[in-house]
Amino acid sequence: MYIKDLHLTNYRNYQDLQLSFADKVNVIIGENAQGKTNLMEAIYVLAFSKSYRTSRDKELVQWEQNYAKIKGTVFKRNQTFPMEMQFSTKGKIAKLNHMEQRRLSDYIGALNVVMFAPEDLHLVKGSPQIRRRFIDMEIGQIQPVYIYHLGQYQKIVKQRNHLLKNLQRRQTNDRTMLEVLTEQLIEHAAIIVEKRFVFLDLLRKWAIPIHQGISDDKERLTITYFSSIDVSETAEREKIKTSYQSAFMNNMDKEIERGSTLFGPHRDDLLFFVNDKDVQTYGSQGQQRTTALSLKLAEIELIKSEVGEYPILLLDDVLSELDHYRQSHLLHTIQGKVQTFVSTTSVSDIQHETIQQAELFEVKNGTIIR
Amino acid sequence: MYYPEPISKLIDSFTKLPGIGPKTAVRLAFFVLNMKEDDVLDFAKALVNAKRELSHCTTCGHITDQDPCAICQDESRNNTVICVVQDPKDVIAMEKMKEFNGRYHVLHGAISPMDGIGPEDINVPSLLTRLKDEEIEELILATNPNIEGEATAMYISRLVKPSGIRITRIAHGLPMGGDLEYADEVTLSKALEGRREL
Repeated sequence: MYIKDLHLTNYRNYQDLQLSFADKVNVIIGENAQGKTNLMEAIYVLAFSKSYRTSRDKELVQWEQNYAKIKGTVFKRNQTFPMEMQFSTKGKIAKLNHMEQRRLSDYIGALNVVMFAPEDLHLVKGSPQIRRRFIDMEIGQIQPVYIYHLGQYQKIVKQRNHLLKNLQRRQTNDRTMLEVLTEQLIEHAAIIVEKRFVFLDLLRKWAIPIHQGISDDKERLTITYFSSIDVSETAEREKIKTSYQSAFMNNMDKEIERGSTLFGPHRDDLLFFVNDKDVQTYGSQGQQRTTALSLKLAEIELIKSEVGEYPILLLDDVLSELDHYRQSHLLHTIQGKVQTFVSTTSVSDIQHETIQQAELFEVKNGTIIR
Repeated sequence: MYYPEPISKLIDSFTKLPGIGPKTAVRLAFFVLNMKEDDVLDFAKALVNAKRELSHCTTCGHITDQDPCAICQDESRNNTVICVVQDPKDVIAMEKMKEFNGRYHVLHGAISPMDGIGPEDINVPSLLTRLKDEEIEELILATNPNIEGEATAMYISRLVKPSGIRITRIAHGLPMGGDLEYADEVTLSKALEGRREL
């Protein structure tokens, strides 16, 4: 799949921009603070209906304008269709093939995007939240119904936390309602965790050989799911449910004391080991980067195997962060297969032929001067 | 500024209604100016009376101009079944169907700790008292199929279960006259879950 063209209106520092892209590599070059990342972000927002840089949609709208629009033409499964995201004070509107999609889970997944930004190098050593977002985003674009369950789950956690706080402050004494919310929570938690287990199996299948390749057979990667409860990764939904039931039953008083939900997928994490050593704590910077790179490359292959086509890859300022060896490994993998957007301040230090054959766009102060 | 005070007040009143923005409010206000005086008076009276004369039935919580409400007073209805709904509008929807002949209980909301709404803030206590007094055999829980509606139904069922009253939940699934292919995945999976033997 690839994006044929993009039209931005009042989006961040772009007043009105229309671009047509090559179906292979597109390099966006420019000085700092000219709008390279904004352009990458626009493609990301078109795919996921929200930004990875901010949770406030309002920031996407240009200063003193009342709406912003991103429109793109996508080619996927031999079909061409438009996608559109509009943001205004009234909220956001997502249109797929000219039709408004009221549920975002019907929109996300139409365009598959893998993003690799400098922040992603923190995937390994950063906070658990980054890793949870990574799995959630990836499962979401392969299986849109996952987003629905995640949304319901987050709502229940919010309700449950409020109730736990009320119980903590003795504003209520009603444990029946707590039992009800716990039952609802477990229902969705078990689905989410089960889907994460299945996804991890797929991720391992791709990431482990890729990591082995990049490390020249010297490193063996293992990925484990760290759960807030005691449950095996091979467990099925009913088994996961019983594990949650006993965890919540045995810790009800503790939860009330803390006023917060202590178990569930929102507390889980991923652990990475290289040659049986925890990369997060004991890995070198290089090992952490190789792991992050393996995961991102695995993501590309995983989407290809699940969706049937390669996703679009966004490399935001990340090539310069990788050494020549990892750079060429990355570029070699995508060569001729994946539509890729690379943003960088200069192409001179990237020797690879993929970049030299790429379509060049030069950004200056919110316009493209080519 | 451009409008004399009486009309600007009228415009302002219209904007308080749901679904009416500033432009529609202006259009409606000018329409009222051209209406016959009697019609305007009737309209104003209807508005005031709807607010003044309507109250909630002390038995079931439905909106009514007499207490108990017409449904609660109707001797021909089945006393052994109560259908629990969230909103008076839901009673009207059920009544339009003309299939249900039992009694109702209107909760006026759903339990939501996030919004500070507990069981005692909606009509749950009055339901429990009602269940003690009357010859109820079945309780149909027809709250909305979202998180709060679902939680409210589960909550009530837990409280009532020990009394031995039969508790049922309305089915979730496909709308009639619709096409299977247009149903979203969640509805479809609920419909599959609730499938039945033919």
